[in-house]
Amino acid sequence: MNKSIDRIYRKQQILFVLFALMAGQSGAQQQGPTYEDILQGFADPQRWLTYSGDYSGKRHSPLEQITPANVGQLRPIWTFQTGTTTRGRGFETTPLVDNGVLYVTGSNNYAWAIDARSGRAFWQYRRNLPDDLTYGSSAPVNRGFGMLGNQLFMVTLDAHLLAFDRRNGEILWDVQLADYRVGYAATLAPLVIDDKVIVGISGGEYATRGFIDAYDPGTGERIWRFNTIPGPGEPGSETWPDDPEVLARGGGGTWMNGSYDPDLNLIYWGVGNPNPDYFGDLRPGDNLYSNSLVALDADTGELRWHYQFTPHDLNDWDSNHMPVLADIQWRGLPRKVVMVGNRNGFFYVLDRATGDLLLGEPFTATSWARELDAQGRPIVLNDGSEGCVPDPWGSTNFMPPSFYPGLDLFILTARETCATYVPEEPRYVPGQASFGGVVFIDGEQGYGALRALDVHSGDLAWEFTYPSPTFGGVMTTASGLVFAGDHEGNFMAFDVNTGENLWHYQTGSRIWGAAPITFMLDGRQIVMIPSGTTLTAFALPEH
Amino acid sequence: MQKLKIMTKQPYFVTAVPGITVLRGLLLTAVLLIPALALGQAVNPLDSSPRAAAAGGSLFRAQCATCHGADARGIAGIQAPDLTQLWSQPGQSDSAVFQTIRNGIPGSIMPPHAFTDTETWMLVTYLKSLGPADSMASYGGDRGRGARLFDKNCSGCHLLNGSGGALGPDLTGIATRRSRQSLVTSIREPGAVLVRGYRPVTLVTRDNLRIDGTIKSEDAFSIQIMDRKQSLRGFRKKDLARLHYPDRSLMPEFNQATLNDSELEDLLSYLAGQ
Repeated sequence: MNKSIDRIYRKQQILFVLFALMAGQSGAQQQGPTYEDILQGFADPQRWLTYSGDYSGKRHSPLEQITPANVGQLRPIWTFQTGTTTRGRGFETTPLVDNGVLYVTGSNNYAWAIDARSGRAFWQYRRNLPDDLTYGSSAPVNRGFGMLGNQLFMVTLDAHLLAFDRRNGEILWDVQLADYRVGYAATLAPLVIDDKVIVGISGGEYATRGFIDAYDPGTGERIWRFNTIPGPGEPGSETWPDDPEVLARGGGGTWMNGSYDPDLNLIYWGVGNPNPDYFGDLRPGDNLYSNSLVALDADTGELRWHYQFTPHDLNDWDSNHMPVLADIQWRGLPRKVVMVGNRNGFFYVLDRATGDLLLGEPFTATSWARELDAQGRPIVLNDGSEGCVPDPWGSTNFMPPSFYPGLDLFILTARETCATYVPEEPRYVPGQASFGGVVFIDGEQGYGALRALDVHSGDLAWEFTYPSPTFGGVMTTASGLVFAGDHEGNFMAFDVNTGENLWHYQTGSRIWGAAPITFMLDGRQIVMIPSGTTLTAFALPEH
Repeated sequence: MQKLKIMTKQPYFVTAVPGITVLRGLLLTAVLLIPALALGQAVNPLDSSPRAAAAGGSLFRAQCATCHGADARGIAGIQAPDLTQLWSQPGQSDSAVFQTIRNGIPGSIMPPHAFTDTETWMLVTYLKSLGPADSMASYGGDRGRGARLFDKNCSGCHLLNGSGGALGPDLTGIATRRSRQSLVTSIREPGAVLVRGYRPVTLVTRDNLRIDGTIKSEDAFSIQIMDRKQSLRGFRKKDLARLHYPDRSLMPEFNQATLNDSELEDLLSYLAGQ
């Protein structure tokens, strides 16, 4: 008797749940991810809601369906093509994923919502760009959307910030960040935190002045601005000549995404080169906050601390890198750190609450400097005028690295190059580049490598060399895999312990700055990396 | 005497003294061009000429229709847009359309074209003639009542000026793009014309779940829809038990009982006032 009643109750429960599900079908609309959802990072494996997957910048996924044992069976399941030209740089984007839909930005400010099951587009956006773009025409790229609720956010080559309705690609608001005619553009993926869309700006090769802005997602109103080059009399201005004209064209672009610590309420952002790039005579001093990592109060944009990697830069070694936040044991004690693989060839570990430098060691053969002094300043041996230091694109660049917890490995794409710098005073014309010299690069001597660094020492744990200095980004997964892209178009998987290559696929175009993503869909783990004008999804064979 | 001053500034007047009618024509051009050039825009010299529109139409069909469609409304599968709505875009001008035809759109499949100035203006004039004939129709209803009617009946599915739903098309500026009659038809008989991107479909999954939506894209093996909850959803056809393409739009019909003629006028006035 009891058993049959139990059975009836269970059936009723099941029916009730079914009814609730059916009712849900015709009920409330989907609201899209909240700030709390993004905070949870990789907790929902079907989502990739922000540039790095979570706010820490580690780009380390917990997914384990694809393993070192089976990754060799990865196969393409669909390819999407953009139908737009790229001027040699192609996709630099990270797709966002939610509910089986990919939200992707591309060259020339095209953007799409794409079905992750089939690679077919729901909608496409194309912007009517002005035909007199400045910085935006030499690098017509975009690194991705930000997402909050049913809104997407994207910056443009004519230096605007747009909000879209992600359901149909319609523009909800459009605000100007800066005047593109002076030399500005915008290319980064916005960082969306609680009620703020945070963006930076490009233009360090022109007579511009960089900033980091926060905007209200609902209205597009600016909430705060942090100027990366101080105004006359402001803190940091003592590292510049006392000349407002020099400050007004100080550079300091902020063209990469940043990381966020919600407990400290700090945003970590990289700052680019001072202008002019190679000619430093008219800007004596350290030129803060160029080539620095800045930690800003997320509510006000005020500077809490900074660390300058390359004072008085003469080599265009922007520090626009993903800051990687991790909680690790440091010399026996738990420590909240931020790690940066820098364009100047050094790997850094800092305390992310205070900015104290914990480690700074070269990860390439750079002869520019081999060590930092007691104050954390590089001891410069060769500023590039005497030949053979890393080229302007640097020992690494904006392509994201990855941190593998437990093994405490910082894995990045390294470039070994040999260049001589010849500075020359430039003319300053709004809308025209002012590099301030030329660089001779020895093409014969360059190569690239995927390098895994032990974060506690900066020592090389392993490397996989590439034939040319490369720009592809890196992602790791908890099953012990490293995924990366290279300059010859290979999308590859490696064993995180040894660097042994376990799988590769030729995508047909150099992979420039884009990094892999991974997510679950219908019970299958998908991995992908945007390459040139294509996006291909890979998975293990279905059973 | 002032007229002579203007003329003598033109270099081609230095040697010859042309006849009076030519002078007047050139003067008119100078008077037209000087303010326009001061604004940085060229003026369409063939504006509203029916003969220019006809010639432009021939040129369009020969040179542009392969991508934009013989009716200029775009072709499914090619990324060339519907050109019949060009002048409803804010800030649009004959001069801007001229430049787009002349220079193309960098990074897209729209190439530059080496047509002469006259040929290009003919194309501009033709495209301008394609807009709705009574796009400047006037509506005599109460906009305030129309706003309330819109909020109650329409905003759940339609965007207007950045807010509302996404199941149906964005209605911002719709009255400048569509004739009065077509707007009335869309409201009274929504199934009469099913627009690409909003064609209805009913899917039944292998678990017997029925999903209604609008088709965003489809191929032999997959279909991409927006469902009634306004979510974008993609399906592999092999995961579906059935697909059905109804004749009826997802938009409900608003007949006299649900929206009488006076209320309809209020609603149209509200839409046109935007």
